[in-house]
Amino acid sequence: MSMKGGIGHGLHRGTCQSVDKGAGHPLAARMSDAVKMSFGQGLAASVPLILGYAPIAFSFGVAATRSGLTGWEAVALSLIMYSGAAQFVAIALLAAGAPLVVAAATLIGMALRHVLYGPSLLRHAGADGTTRHAWAWAFGLTDEVFAAALGELARGRRFSEPFMFGLGLGAYGAWLSGTVAGAWAGGGALAAWPAVNAGLGFMLPSLFLALLLSMFTRAQVPVIVVAGGVTVAVTVLVSGTAGLLAGMLAGAVAGVWSAGRQRDAV
Amino acid sequence: MRSEVAALVLIVGACTWAFRYFPLRARLHDLAAGSVLGRFLAATGPAAIATLFAAEVMPYLQVAVTRQLPLLTGIAAVLAAFAWRRSVVVATLAGSVTFGVISALVAS
Repeated sequence: MSMKGGIGHGLHRGTCQSVDKGAGHPLAARMSDAVKMSFGQGLAASVPLILGYAPIAFSFGVAATRSGLTGWEAVALSLIMYSGAAQFVAIALLAAGAPLVVAAATLIGMALRHVLYGPSLLRHAGADGTTRHAWAWAFGLTDEVFAAALGELARGRRFSEPFMFGLGLGAYGAWLSGTVAGAWAGGGALAAWPAVNAGLGFMLPSLFLALLLSMFTRAQVPVIVVAGGVTVAVTVLVSGTAGLLAGMLAGAVAGVWSAGRQRDAV
Repeated sequence: MRSEVAALVLIVGACTWAFRYFPLRARLHDLAAGSVLGRFLAATGPAAIATLFAAEVMPYLQVAVTRQLPLLTGIAAVLAAFAWRRSVVVATLAGSVTFGVISALVAS
């Protein structure tokens, strides 16, 4: 989930890079001796995700009902879409009366980054990277579940599909129950608690900044600067929806250009 | 449930699942990292997060500078907490709590 977001273990760049070093790295030998992670270990690893997801999902439920969605509609977004940041954008698009095609294109564009998570995870899993039941556990492969799984692999644990089910189930359960609680509490639930309301309102900017920090490298500076700058400019000049699409596309194009220059320099 | 909401949820939900699942089966991890498509996909994640952060922060910047103390302290808390723990969870909660507390103090 940009929250897709949502949140998870901070992805330690150093440890993950060590996994990339391949079979010759000492970590590879350590991994070969380790036992594959179990379903229970997956659930245990999901505890930080549960702590992070629950308040954000609660604020989603509150925000959704506040913006005019019914409780069932809010829960359906979490149950079927299960994509945190996209869900918040969805309620903004629905509240603004955006046409279905525009709303769907925006949200699908936001989800495109998930294409990278599975291949990256399998590359780090090595020979343990089975996909027999991936049709099911891939549903829960959010930004944070991906980051948490990668973090476990970076610590020398061995990939298994039961582990992915445990990790994903804990996170999904927290997201769903948080949404139900927020939708049940309703849009006016926090009116008497302005400080809590303000804090929950700032949860997403905090989350996106933290996610940005977790994946920050020097090579991504052009991507971040271009994406942020274009978003602000197009939002001011055109609209918020156009700003989101333009920012993402411009940032990705900047990434293609930047990576090409670096490759040429080498 | 309204039909447009149901349609949006089903379309986006199906695409999100497809984006998460099919690359696993298509062995996209064998895709050359240096290809244009590979580079574009690699940059999409950070670009999306940066875009969302900018979009989320913009409304907070549209108030007077003197009322931006909660925003500044919230961002500072995220940066400090992430530097301390390297955890997205801790950093997010630190930013949110700090923003809420400072907002209450400023309002009182």
